[in-house]
Amino acid sequence: MTKRIKHSWRNLIIFLSIMGPGIITANVDNDAGGITTYSVAGAHFGYSLIWSFIPIIIALVIIQEMCSRMAVVTGKGLADLIREEFGVRVTFYAMTVLIFSNIFNTISEFAGIAASAELFGISKFILVPLCALFVWWLIVKGTYKTVEKVFLLACLFYLSYIFSGFLSKPNWHEVAKSSIKPSLHFNKAYLFMLIGVIGTTIAPWMQFYQQSSVVEKDIKIENYKYCRLDVIIGAFVVNIIAIFIVIVCANTLFTHGIRIESAKDAALALKPLAGNYCFYLFAFGLLNASVFSACILPLSTAYSACEGMGWEVGVNKRFREAPQFYTLYTAIIVIGASVILLPNVKLIPIMLISQATNGILLPFVLVFMLLLVNNKRLMGKHTNSLLYNIITISVIIIMIGLSIALLFTSFMQ
Amino acid sequence: MTEQDIIINQLTTSKMFVYFSQLIDRPVIDKNGIVVGEIYDIILKSSQVYPQSAALIIRKGFPNRKYTVVNWKDVSELDADTREVKLSIARKILIFKEKHDNKEELTLRRDILDQQVVDTHNHKVIRINDIHMLFVEHALMVAHVDISAKGLIRRLGFEKPVNFLVKLLNKDSDYLKTEHLLSWKYIHPLSINPASMTIKVNVPEKQFSSIPAADLGEIFLDLNINQKITLFKSLDVKTQARIFTNIDFKTQKSLVEDLEPQQAANLLNNMPSDEATDFLDKLPREIAEHLLSLIESKYAKKLSQLLGYSSDSAGGLMTAEYISFVKDSTVESVLKQIKVRTFKVEPAQYVYVIDENNRLLGTTNFRRLILADPQELIQNVTFPKSYFVNLNSSVKEVAYLMEKYKYYTIPVVDEHHVLQGIITVDDILSQLIAFAWRRIKKIKIPIKK
Repeated sequence: MTKRIKHSWRNLIIFLSIMGPGIITANVDNDAGGITTYSVAGAHFGYSLIWSFIPIIIALVIIQEMCSRMAVVTGKGLADLIREEFGVRVTFYAMTVLIFSNIFNTISEFAGIAASAELFGISKFILVPLCALFVWWLIVKGTYKTVEKVFLLACLFYLSYIFSGFLSKPNWHEVAKSSIKPSLHFNKAYLFMLIGVIGTTIAPWMQFYQQSSVVEKDIKIENYKYCRLDVIIGAFVVNIIAIFIVIVCANTLFTHGIRIESAKDAALALKPLAGNYCFYLFAFGLLNASVFSACILPLSTAYSACEGMGWEVGVNKRFREAPQFYTLYTAIIVIGASVILLPNVKLIPIMLISQATNGILLPFVLVFMLLLVNNKRLMGKHTNSLLYNIITISVIIIMIGLSIALLFTSFMQ
Repeated sequence: MTEQDIIINQLTTSKMFVYFSQLIDRPVIDKNGIVVGEIYDIILKSSQVYPQSAALIIRKGFPNRKYTVVNWKDVSELDADTREVKLSIARKILIFKEKHDNKEELTLRRDILDQQVVDTHNHKVIRINDIHMLFVEHALMVAHVDISAKGLIRRLGFEKPVNFLVKLLNKDSDYLKTEHLLSWKYIHPLSINPASMTIKVNVPEKQFSSIPAADLGEIFLDLNINQKITLFKSLDVKTQARIFTNIDFKTQKSLVEDLEPQQAANLLNNMPSDEATDFLDKLPREIAEHLLSLIESKYAKKLSQLLGYSSDSAGGLMTAEYISFVKDSTVESVLKQIKVRTFKVEPAQYVYVIDENNRLLGTTNFRRLILADPQELIQNVTFPKSYFVNLNSSVKEVAYLMEKYKYYTIPVVDEHHVLQGIITVDDILSQLIAFAWRRIKKIKIPIKK
């Protein structure tokens, strides 16, 4: 008995040391854009979209699990593997699109920071540069361990959405019913929203980031089960938070018939309906999510691009040792922050370009992943099983289809 | 680029050398002039420092690709201008198959191009952008690797436009004139086959033994866990010991877990005793005891004794490797024995004189021994006064004595004055540096206005 307790303690300690990559990557999914989508979904369609988070969890687990597995078995990042197996040319073009796409993603994160600045009544000309500086300083001065701790703390702050969810006093019976029973409505607005909610779940940078950060942890194959647990917990946590965002907006805005366009609108509309606490929690959640993602996106981009091109990489390196890495990282932050401070900047085209580039890159990345994870020479006995492959391929086809559909619907709107 | 890279003038080398990237996908023609496929990969034989081409892998068809392997003796010509390969056999006898993977061999495209390797000259981990090959009697020899941006640009197919642009900006640019290449003899391929975890080439390990231990540790930091393990296993035990003492505990632990028990014991046997105790001290008790049981009994006894002392006392800091002689040995015999003995660490040039019961009598050094009359007894050439510390002396006391008397090492004795070990200045230094850091963090240095 005591032996068993000792054993489970040991397991817990190993898990805590391995935990991180999966939870962090999944949480960045709830970035400024994600929060907007979920707020709008809740405000316009009430609880009727909650069921879609269950397939999202499955897709997220399946795709991110393959990344972790490749990281542990091969000890190499996704960009590394693409370079080694498919050559330099493919890598170069993939990385160019990735950099381009993530610059636009980063701009939209800084837009989230600017929006929350307005919610808190601070000038965006103060908060945006401050956040950019903080984000830059964190990576340039930090080590991998401290950076990961800060990231995990940021994940904890997402709980503010759960608190604001409880503050809005939802009807739990209704929530439970609508999460189990899919309610499909065949009107254009509903389908567009559905595509929006699922289509934003899986973005190409996530696979690169997750794989690199698992590699950085030097995890052995014996401990892989903890790594998989990390991915599963991450997928659940992130979607529970997303569900709470939908609940808050469904419970207040939807019941009062308020139409919104952005997360900022949602927070403002919450103020009279759910009270000041709910408003501040919601606004803080948006700020946290935006800063967090504004940190991870440039980091992940610089990581993957340098990995693929064979340049020195790493948070633990100094500027002189990894000049390309830090230059790229700095440049993306500077561009992201300064575009948002330009007068009359329009967010819609930026969002469209980021979705378009994501949509172009995603099919390639997922197909590369599928080829790599089934490569016996690389993965040995850890390749996908036939059943797993069938599920993965269908998930991939659906995800590719949805991300292309998302692109069309965005242009049509 | 550093000045250590080899720089070759392009004009004199264009015909003798070819880049592997320029050969990939070029046509292969049989003896009747019929195209049989394209160059896919080259299998190497690594008998010498510079590996030579042993066989050619030809690919044909798209999208259903098929491969065949042709021995290099059947290659009749490799045209340096058109970069076409001619075979001395007919197409009919070639059998194309779905797969070409042979785990045993070293091939250029699969194992070297685009892969990570260790550069033992500049002491870092690099990725290979291109391979520079020399024509040697119609075979190809791997001479250099290209890790420069120029290699990357060539691979991407942007060489001409980039050259044109550079020419526009600066006609005499160094970029156009020189090639930045690194000799193959400095390249150590890494875990080539992640699944089987083997390194297939026997590059001389001498390259590794010439790298300073601290740099080896740095190189290790840049490798992933699989590469660390495979590289570590491929090195000789002396180099292993040098690396081991320069990496963090987490990596040490995972390396030892992956070694055979006998290899692990051998490694600990070859480590200085203070480093070995440091490592064992951090391990869980049962694992440390298991390892100790595998080590040579005499050495294990010494280590387990060292493990008993608190880590910030003289006993915990000391190493049990020192040179000592009984008082009535002659200087001549002492010098003779010093010459033939081998040491895991270089003990600073002190020799300790003891009596029959191992009690410390005095200290002397190499200089005194060399200058002394060979027939003199060793007890008569010691320093006039002998300094020492006790097993439970604190780090501060030890540091104070060493600084005061300008000693590089100081002997440690127990309560019966029996010599137990020595403390060297570098062990004290690392303790003091850590101590100083903690102080600096607490004390704010006042800034002058």
